[in-house]
Amino acid sequence: MQQGWRSTRTAASRRVKGVAQSAVASVRRHRPDYQIALYMGLLMLIGLVVMYAIGPQRANFLNTSEGTDFYTSTYFFIKQTVSLSLAIAFFVFMSMVPYKIIDKYAAKVLIVAFAACALLVFMGNILNVEWLTLCTKGACRWFVVPGLGTIQPAEFLKFGILLFTAGFLGVRSQQGLINDVQKTLIPIGIVTALAMFFVILMQKDMGTGIALVSILATMLVVSGMRWRLLSTIFVGLIVAGLLLIVVAPHRMDRVTTFFNGDNTSVDEKGGYHITHAKIAIGTGGVLGVGIGNSVQASGYLPESINDSVFAIMGETFGFLGLVGVLALFTALLLRLLKVTDHLVDMKLKLLVAGVFGWLGSHTILNVAAMIGVFPLTGITLPLLSFGGTSMIFIGGALGLAFQLSRYTAFGGKLEGHDKENSSSRRGVGRSRYSSRRSTPRT
Amino acid sequence: MKLEIQKGSRSKILAIIVVGLMAVFVVRLFYLQIIKHDEYVALANSEQVKRLTIPAKRGLIYAMDGTRPVELVLNETVYTLFADPKIIKDKSKITDTIHRIAGGNVRPNIDVLLDKKETRYQILATKLSRAQAELIKKEKLAGIGFQEVSQRVYPEGGLAAQTLGFVNAEGIGQYGVESKLDARLKGEDGMLQSVTDVSNVPLTIGDRNVHDPAKNGDNVVLTIDRNIQAYTEKALATGLQQTGAQKGSVIVMNPENGRVMAMANLPTYKPAEFNKVQDADAFNNAVITSPYEPGSDIKTLTVAMGLDKGVIEPNSTFVNTDSIKVEDRTIGNATKGQTGTITMQTALNYSLNTGMVTIAQRLGDGKSINANARNTMYEYFHDRFGFGMKTGIELAGEQPGTIIAPTRQEGNAVRYSNMAFGQGMDLTMAQVSAAFCSIINGGTYFKPTVLAGTMSVDRKTFKEDTVQPVRSAVISPSSSAKARAMVYEARTKFYAGKDKPGYEIGGKTGTSQTIVNGKYVDNQTDGTYLGYGGDDRPRYVIMVQVSGKNMNLEGGKHALPIFTDISNWMIDYLKLQPKG
Repeated sequence: MQQGWRSTRTAASRRVKGVAQSAVASVRRHRPDYQIALYMGLLMLIGLVVMYAIGPQRANFLNTSEGTDFYTSTYFFIKQTVSLSLAIAFFVFMSMVPYKIIDKYAAKVLIVAFAACALLVFMGNILNVEWLTLCTKGACRWFVVPGLGTIQPAEFLKFGILLFTAGFLGVRSQQGLINDVQKTLIPIGIVTALAMFFVILMQKDMGTGIALVSILATMLVVSGMRWRLLSTIFVGLIVAGLLLIVVAPHRMDRVTTFFNGDNTSVDEKGGYHITHAKIAIGTGGVLGVGIGNSVQASGYLPESINDSVFAIMGETFGFLGLVGVLALFTALLLRLLKVTDHLVDMKLKLLVAGVFGWLGSHTILNVAAMIGVFPLTGITLPLLSFGGTSMIFIGGALGLAFQLSRYTAFGGKLEGHDKENSSSRRGVGRSRYSSRRSTPRT
Repeated sequence: MKLEIQKGSRSKILAIIVVGLMAVFVVRLFYLQIIKHDEYVALANSEQVKRLTIPAKRGLIYAMDGTRPVELVLNETVYTLFADPKIIKDKSKITDTIHRIAGGNVRPNIDVLLDKKETRYQILATKLSRAQAELIKKEKLAGIGFQEVSQRVYPEGGLAAQTLGFVNAEGIGQYGVESKLDARLKGEDGMLQSVTDVSNVPLTIGDRNVHDPAKNGDNVVLTIDRNIQAYTEKALATGLQQTGAQKGSVIVMNPENGRVMAMANLPTYKPAEFNKVQDADAFNNAVITSPYEPGSDIKTLTVAMGLDKGVIEPNSTFVNTDSIKVEDRTIGNATKGQTGTITMQTALNYSLNTGMVTIAQRLGDGKSINANARNTMYEYFHDRFGFGMKTGIELAGEQPGTIIAPTRQEGNAVRYSNMAFGQGMDLTMAQVSAAFCSIINGGTYFKPTVLAGTMSVDRKTFKEDTVQPVRSAVISPSSSAKARAMVYEARTKFYAGKDKPGYEIGGKTGTSQTIVNGKYVDNQTDGTYLGYGGDDRPRYVIMVQVSGKNMNLEGGKHALPIFTDISNWMIDYLKLQPKG
């Protein structure tokens, strides 16, 4: 295995300059990987069903606790439908706008994203414009669009970082400078640090911070960066992460709570959220209590429609249902990895890898917290949680991956470039894909 | 699923990580959802399933108004206002509103109570009326709620207080009928089990909801007649006022069925204000809770026993020397001068102890109160008249009294000579009156009872309990007729002018010495009077007792006037027809 890795990398770095540079041009555009859309659509549909089932309870709970009758029983279902429609629209848009155009604007998108974050700090933290920003305990995470809803610039920032870093690392990779600390690592470090400043320091959003780092880390791994360098970066990230936990009491609390283990005392302070997530999941049993029968959604489990939706699904659909949901996520993630693996152009590879990192980190962090194997980070479950901005941007990111899945190269296509890899791939994909491919190949 | 990712590529590593983590998640889910399922269901139930007690309505208590039951004890619903400090929103609005609507019922410093954010339940006000509660509810204040509390109300005030008893703050009956019949009156609380949301609003989810309705308590109808009771209380109060006695008790019974028509005690209290009573003695119904040495009233029973055993006739004679020797003791008479050969009727009229001791002796060999005499007396007093045993009246705190059996060393001839004129044993007024009823009604012993029957749930139908005699032929009907005539004679001989003419009123005085710190004292006697009244048959039995600290109260002077007062009123109230 170890031996195989070495040879792959050296071979890859040897070929980047010459051949892969023109990979997009050299690989014919073919049918996209519809499974990406299929899994995404199924997950969205399940999420919508859950919103339909627990929306009335959520509305009732909010009406009671806020003393209003603002929330109607279909409020969350309708908003989720709107979010999903926008997400699908963005998915379609990103799957159709030629990648070259997107690549051209990558840096600008990132700058706009940073500007949005800076504006949020300016309006929220400095000017305290309450009607345009949404802040809790000094953490301003949202812009308010009066009458429409809220926008979370951090999601936009993920998108910007994804586009920019993929492009940047792609170029460095083609230049053979991927392991160059000064020309590659330091600029990436600066972008990361700036992003972390906004997300973790200003918005106090560790979850989004981890997701951002995960996106970047996935791209670095896929970029072929030397393992020794990667190890150093990971150790550095872990140390930085621990420091961030230690300096912030609320993060420390979450970690302490987590290490209290399976303490199931309901009233335990701090453990309330995670205990109730486990109660919801645990009560589901094998088949669940059935759609519309969730009791934890009636106010016991905090964030039942957003961050905790996985637990509600556990209560509703049971073990088999959750295994099904996890299987869908796994399938989607593996499809993305497959696309990454079979793309030739490093930029494109890194883009899809970033999308994988994005979807994967969110899914894993959310699920791990809900089932009590990792501290709570306050992160949404992609495609399922209620939420506009995150849904729209994950839709866009998947749309981009969907577009790029048209440019994968399989079997004989790569044989000329890389003998070692083709030999290993032949058994798995070649015959099937070559026979199934609608686009004729040479 | 085929991965189709190149072996050894970095994507492959990521794929392995993803699949590995997902596998861990599935294992963990298996643990949570299948292995620990029951534990989490139990945990969920403990917070989702709420059990609400549906309180049973306490049964009402009725008295008789002639033949018609009337309400004596009712319930009213009042409201306790509580707050959940954790979820209240607008503290000042809450305090302003409830002070404005229910100022007098609000607990002090509710500001402090509302700030106790770590608690979930604080009582802000108690005993709110429905109207007040409705007004506060209209304000839709978040985080406050009402609890219905039932409390007793007494439309007749303090009437029959000791018979009724009261219900304490915990809802438990104390004293009287409330205590004795607590289980019947209380009913059985129902239960509402429901899955609720986090704000305790019941949900219709799942199959864990249970509704077990409450069984309300019985509505109880007492034999107490509110008019007789009221008059009796008034007569007792007037009597005590005139004599200066501090304590007094009266029982009015129907000799034909043992039903207690009135039972009055002084000092008394108002059940609605039971918590203001200083001396708990006011709660006691002395008629049943305070055994005493009954004294001369018992002579009527001794005479009846003698008649029944055939050892005397009303006109049987004996030689009275105003003293009689029993073993080494000499017993004298309180009233002296009726010496010579006199009849038993005379002995009863003048309440002569010597006559009673003579009867006791005649039950034996004629000279001494031998074992045979003592056994006979014990059989009558204990087995037939029920002395030394609880009567079983439906009131809490009844005492059995004491009577010494002849089998015991203390049950000697001296003791039994004393018992013949009412000393040497402790009895309650209820025991004595019930026994007296049996000797004037033809010889049937009825348990004294305060329970007439039950009122239906809709409070419309009165279901009367049937009365079963406890013992018949306590004495023979002819003995009863003779005894009744003697008791009638004993009263009319001296007091005929006090009674309405044309009715049969009989009775016997009693003046009992009291025992203070184990010794008979001379400066304190209780006055009693035990008698009956009626037309062609006895219709009521009244027993009166008055007592006071360091007071020499006499039956004829202090108890009798109260008897006479009530008796004359009873004749009118019962609309008795005078004999022609």
